[in-house]
Amino acid sequence: MSNEQSRRDFLKLGGTALAMGASGLAAAATTAPGAAKNQAAAVSTAIKADLPKAKGPRLVVVGAGTSGLTIAKYAKRYYPTFDVVLVEKRDMYASCFSSNLWYAGLVDLEFLADHSFLDAAVNNKYIYFNATVTGLDRTSRKLVTNKGEIDYDYLVLAPGIDYDYGKIGVTDAAAVAALHQTYPGGFTQSTEHVTIRRKVREFEGGVFLQSVPSGNYRCLPAPYERACMIASVIKKNKLKGKVLILDANPEITIKAQGFHAAFDELYKGIIEWRASSPIIGVDVEKKQVSTDVETISFDDAAIYPNVRGAILIEQLGLMAPSSHSNQKEAHIDTRFNNFIGDERVYVTGDSRNQPYSKSANTSNTEGHTIARVLAARAQGKEPEWVAPQTICYSMVNADPMEAISVDAGYDYDAKTDLITGFSKTTKVFNDRSTARAQATLEWARGIYRDIFNA
Amino acid sequence: MDRRQFVGICAASAAALSTHSWHALAAGVQEFPAVKLVDAQGVPLKAATLATHQAYLFNYPFRAVPCFLINLGKPSAKAQLLSGESGSYEWPGGAGAQHNLVSYIAICTHQMSYPNKATSVIRYAGDGSELAEKPGMIVCCAHGSVFDPAAGAVKVSGPAEQPLIPVRLEVDPLDDSISATGVAANELIERFFQAYKVDFIAEYGPGGYRQPVEASARTVLLDQFSKTVTNC
Ligand code: FES
Repeated sequence: MSNEQSRRDFLKLGGTALAMGASGLAAAATTAPGAAKNQAAAVSTAIKADLPKAKGPRLVVVGAGTSGLTIAKYAKRYYPTFDVVLVEKRDMYASCFSSNLWYAGLVDLEFLADHSFLDAAVNNKYIYFNATVTGLDRTSRKLVTNKGEIDYDYLVLAPGIDYDYGKIGVTDAAAVAALHQTYPGGFTQSTEHVTIRRKVREFEGGVFLQSVPSGNYRCLPAPYERACMIASVIKKNKLKGKVLILDANPEITIKAQGFHAAFDELYKGIIEWRASSPIIGVDVEKKQVSTDVETISFDDAAIYPNVRGAILIEQLGLMAPSSHSNQKEAHIDTRFNNFIGDERVYVTGDSRNQPYSKSANTSNTEGHTIARVLAARAQGKEPEWVAPQTICYSMVNADPMEAISVDAGYDYDAKTDLITGFSKTTKVFNDRSTARAQATLEWARGIYRDIFNA
Repeated sequence: MDRRQFVGICAASAAALSTHSWHALAAGVQEFPAVKLVDAQGVPLKAATLATHQAYLFNYPFRAVPCFLINLGKPSAKAQLLSGESGSYEWPGGAGAQHNLVSYIAICTHQMSYPNKATSVIRYAGDGSELAEKPGMIVCCAHGSVFDPAAGAVKVSGPAEQPLIPVRLEVDPLDDSISATGVAANELIERFFQAYKVDFIAEYGPGGYRQPVEASARTVLLDQFSKTVTNC
C-alpha cells in the first residue's frame, strides 16, 4: 500500500466516522425534550474526560491558584494513594499576589508568571487537566467540564472570587462590562494586571483613582500598597499628579499606621486618602465616580468593586444563605471546609465564607490543613484542624524598596462554631524597612516554590 | 610531638568523638568527608572564640548548601529524638566541651528560603527579635517560622512543619578547631537544588553547586555572608 493510498483510506475512514458521529448526534437531538421545536438545538452527549483510570481514590481539585495548587500537592504527599487531578481553565499561570510590585517595576512579569502548571504536576505527581467546569452532580459524584465528565471520590473547589459591581451601584450589564474593561480592579484576571501596568506607565498627570471596597475583599492592604506603588512612579517621573484613594471604609483595616506613615512621609501631596467614601455609581464615559456627597472626576483609575464568592459556587448550588455570607460565598464547615452535609465536596481559597483575610498566605496555609483533612478522611480517620495564618507584606516604598508587614492568626470559638477574629498573637510591623522589602520578595518566592516545586 | 604523631592523635580523637556523640544518630546520618571550618584568611576557627550574638555561615556538604554554625553561649539541651521529613533521628545535642556549638543546614524547611550573597531572610537572633518570644532563636522572616537551635532546631512557631536539618560537628580537644562531618539524612537538599537550579547554574556553573566541599570551608558571620539580613 502506497502512502497515497493509505492517506486516502484514512480520509475515507475519517469521513465515515464523522458521518456516524453526526447521525449519533442527530439522534440524541431528536430525543432530547424540546429539541424538536428548534432545528439548531443545543446538543450534549455525556462523554468521559480523557483521563487515565484512577489508581486510587480520585481527588479532583478545581482551580490552580494558591489554594488549589497547594491542596493538589499536599493531599498527594500526605496520602500518596490519592489519584489527584487538578482542573484549571487557564493554560498560563500568573499570580495575583505580588502584582502590585510589577506596577512600579520592582519585579518583572516573569516573577509573576514564569511558573508552569505542567512542572507543578510532574514535580508533585498529579495530573493537570486544562478544562472549564460547567456542572456538578453530587449524588453520582460527577464533575462536568467542557472536556467531559470526571468521576470523583473527593472534590475540592477553589475558584477564587468574582466581582460584585452591584454593590458600587453599577448594575446594568453594559455599564459593568465597560467599567471592568476600562478601569479594571486588578484582583481577578491576569489581563487586568497587564492593563493597570500600562495605565501606570502611560500616566501623564492628574488624578489616578484607586478605590477600596467595603466587605471582606481580596487582600485587605493591597489597594493601599498599590496606591504607594503608583505614587512612587508619579514621584519618580516628577508628574503633576496624585493618587486619590477613595475608601469605603472609615479606616485602613490593617497596617494602618504603616500606611499612614508612608502616605505622610513619602507621598505628601501625591497620595490623598479619603475615608468613608463608598462609591455609589461610576460614569465610564465622563470619567467620574459618585459618592453620597460628591462627584469626582479622574484621569485614570483602577476601580475595585466589592467581591463575592466565585459565580461557579452559586452555579453549582454550593452558595451559603445570606445569613452565612453576605458575599455569596460557599456554605461550608467552619473548620474543615466541606460543603455542609457532604464530606466529599470542599470549598477552599477565597470562595470560603470564613472571615479570613483573602490572601495567598491564608490560602497556602489553609491548603495544608485541608490537604491533611482530606488525607485523614480518605483513610477513615478523624481530621485535625489548625487555623490558617496570614503573613502579608506590603511594599510602601519603591526607591529604596521598603515594606511593612503583619503576621496574623485566627481564633475559633467552639461554642458558636465561628471564627471570631484575629488571634492575640497577631503581630503588626508598621515600621517600614529595606530588610522587610527583601522578605516581601522572598515571601512570594517561597509560595511559588511551595506550589510549583517538589 | 612530631607533626605526624599529632595528626594521628587528632584523627583518633575525632573518630572517638564521632562515635561517641552521634552513634544513636548513625542510622539517620549521611556521612560526608570531614571539612575544617576556617576564617576568611583560611585560619581554622577556634570554638572558644566564636561570637554568640549571630550565626556563622559556611557551605557544606556541597558548594551551594549553606549551614549555620552557632555558639549558643550556654550548653544546649540534651540529646533528643526528633522527627523530620525523612523519619525520626536522634539529635545529639551541642558539640564542644561545653556542648554549646550547634550547626544546621540554613535552608528553611518551610519554603526553602536560605542565605545567599545578596540577602538572607533567615538568621540566628542571639539577642532576640520581634518575631521570636525569646532570644537565641533562628527566625525566618519569609513567613515567620521560629526554630530553637538549642533544642535541635525544632519549630517553635510559624508555618514550618519540620526542624532544620542538623549538621554533625566535631571539636578537636587538642587545638579547639571545628569540623563538620555529616548531616542528618534528608530529602531537602535535592529539592533545594531542584528549586534553585537556574540560579545555581548561573552562579556555580553546570553541576558546580553539587560539588562536595573539600578539606576546609570558609566560615564567616552571616552579615558578611549576605549583603542584606532581614531582621524580623
Ligand atoms: S520559608 Fe521560612 S518561614 Fe517560609
